[in-house]
Amino acid sequence: MKMSVRLAGLEFASPVLAASGTWEFGLRFADVSNQLGGIVTKGITLEPRAGNPPPRIAECPGGIINSVGLENPGLATFVGHFLPRIGRLRCRVIVNVAGSRPGEYAELVERLAHPRVDAFELNVSCPNVREGGTAFGASPAAVERITRLCRRRTKKPLIVKLTANFVDPAETARAAEAGGADAVTVLNTLFGLALGPEGRPFLGGRTGGVSGPCLKPFALYCVDRVAPAIGIPVVACGGVMNGADAADFLSAGARLVQVGSASLADPQAPGRVARELATFCRARRLRDWDDLVGRTRREN
Amino acid sequence: MRPVAYPVLARRRLCPDVFLIELDAPGLAQRVKPGQFLNIRVGDGPDPLLRRPLSVCDADEGRVRLAFRVVGRGTALLARTRTGDRLDVLGPLGRPAPAPRNRNVLLVGGGIGIAPLLFTARRLATGNRVHAVLGARTREQLILRREFRALGTKPILTTDDGSLGFPGPVIEPAADAAAKLDRPLVFTCGPKPMLRALVRRLDPVPVWGFIEERMGCGTGICYCCALPRKGGGWVRFCADGPVVLLNEVAW
Repeated sequence: MKMSVRLAGLEFASPVLAASGTWEFGLRFADVSNQLGGIVTKGITLEPRAGNPPPRIAECPGGIINSVGLENPGLATFVGHFLPRIGRLRCRVIVNVAGSRPGEYAELVERLAHPRVDAFELNVSCPNVREGGTAFGASPAAVERITRLCRRRTKKPLIVKLTANFVDPAETARAAEAGGADAVTVLNTLFGLALGPEGRPFLGGRTGGVSGPCLKPFALYCVDRVAPAIGIPVVACGGVMNGADAADFLSAGARLVQVGSASLADPQAPGRVARELATFCRARRLRDWDDLVGRTRREN
Repeated sequence: MRPVAYPVLARRRLCPDVFLIELDAPGLAQRVKPGQFLNIRVGDGPDPLLRRPLSVCDADEGRVRLAFRVVGRGTALLARTRTGDRLDVLGPLGRPAPAPRNRNVLLVGGGIGIAPLLFTARRLATGNRVHAVLGARTREQLILRREFRALGTKPILTTDDGSLGFPGPVIEPAADAAAKLDRPLVFTCGPKPMLRALVRRLDPVPVWGFIEERMGCGTGICYCCALPRKGGGWVRFCADGPVVLLNEVAW
């Protein structure tokens, strides 16, 4: 069967992407990036961000809790240093952008009008920053406003990365759609707290975001909830470790699926997930992605 | 870079909470350089999710040895490894330590931090003059003494409880040793307070520290390891280290 899939007018060679924040800029394992439909860069802000003090990662059963806090080199270094090299990858390039004010998102997408940037992922859901982040993502009005501001400044596809931290992602997904989004990513990490032996917060950023396979049932629930609520595609993200996990998310209604925390355990994971998904579909003699996408809610 | 499963040739206990695992890994033994580390998968499934970074204790004749102290769930699982098992290894990772020629090299190890210095001593023994100060809490925990002697280094030993060698931490014997050497190149590994005290005591002598702290990916993609750099910013010690010039760290 044909492995490629379309989203917002773009063809992706595979439905599997590397998720933002767990793949840096796709260059350290460029050979793996090239086995994927695309990569989503680490979140970029207008100015460089130092991120949170260490420790920045803790483990929980079946997952991790991170508080990196959007450390990134900032727009100028990203464009001048990383983008030319990212441009040589043979996969779709989605740039994740984050702002502490709504106008910053619009400025970022406008200044990233580079031919090798295929689409944007609007990060309105980072749990580890004081301004913006999940505060925007918890407000349907803010999500709609940010999406609309960006829509006016770029023709490239906009994918809004949603949170489920104290908000119904179906509501914010509808707000993103109303603001002109082309797709939504479901979902970013969930708030988490890791304690040290003395009962004090372990992470340098005090709290963090939970990801990994422990998040998969909830992420799958969210995809199943969001997909029928909107008319634009869903990009799934949450605990995908193998091809069967990816197939689950497509069955639940996602068009694309991201691999995140699994890349920390094995940098070959995104490529392996893409291969396993292809094998899964061939073994079931599926003709098309449409045979898989949305099976969860189909009559028979 | 792909993970490879290497057969475990032996597992032995060096002291109550320190284990040594020997892998049959000829290619790796040839490729790995002092200062680099291996990221080891523990357990069979996705839990624990993260690998455990271990520095190479020794590599010789097709064998790679890893020594680790049991500090948590991951290392406790790793301690259950048996001869004949296969260990899923990603690596070698990180940048090798500087490889000097014809220099006075001083190795200062504390506790489990002694382990990676053995491999360093082996590789630097030809072409340099290698000196070592090794310390631990007790005589029992002063690991790998025989192996150091077999390389021809006569390490100065210290124990916190005075049960062997100089009583007290490694700092003063290390400072004495450094003072007697012409332009010493210092490599150290051990607990953070020891590294901090050593670099202050030896100032302005450059001290290269093997950082053994928590990491996320070990490959530079997750930005979870961060050591504060003097003047701002971070040292991402999985990719830019783990051997770091400690004089530049803002502890």
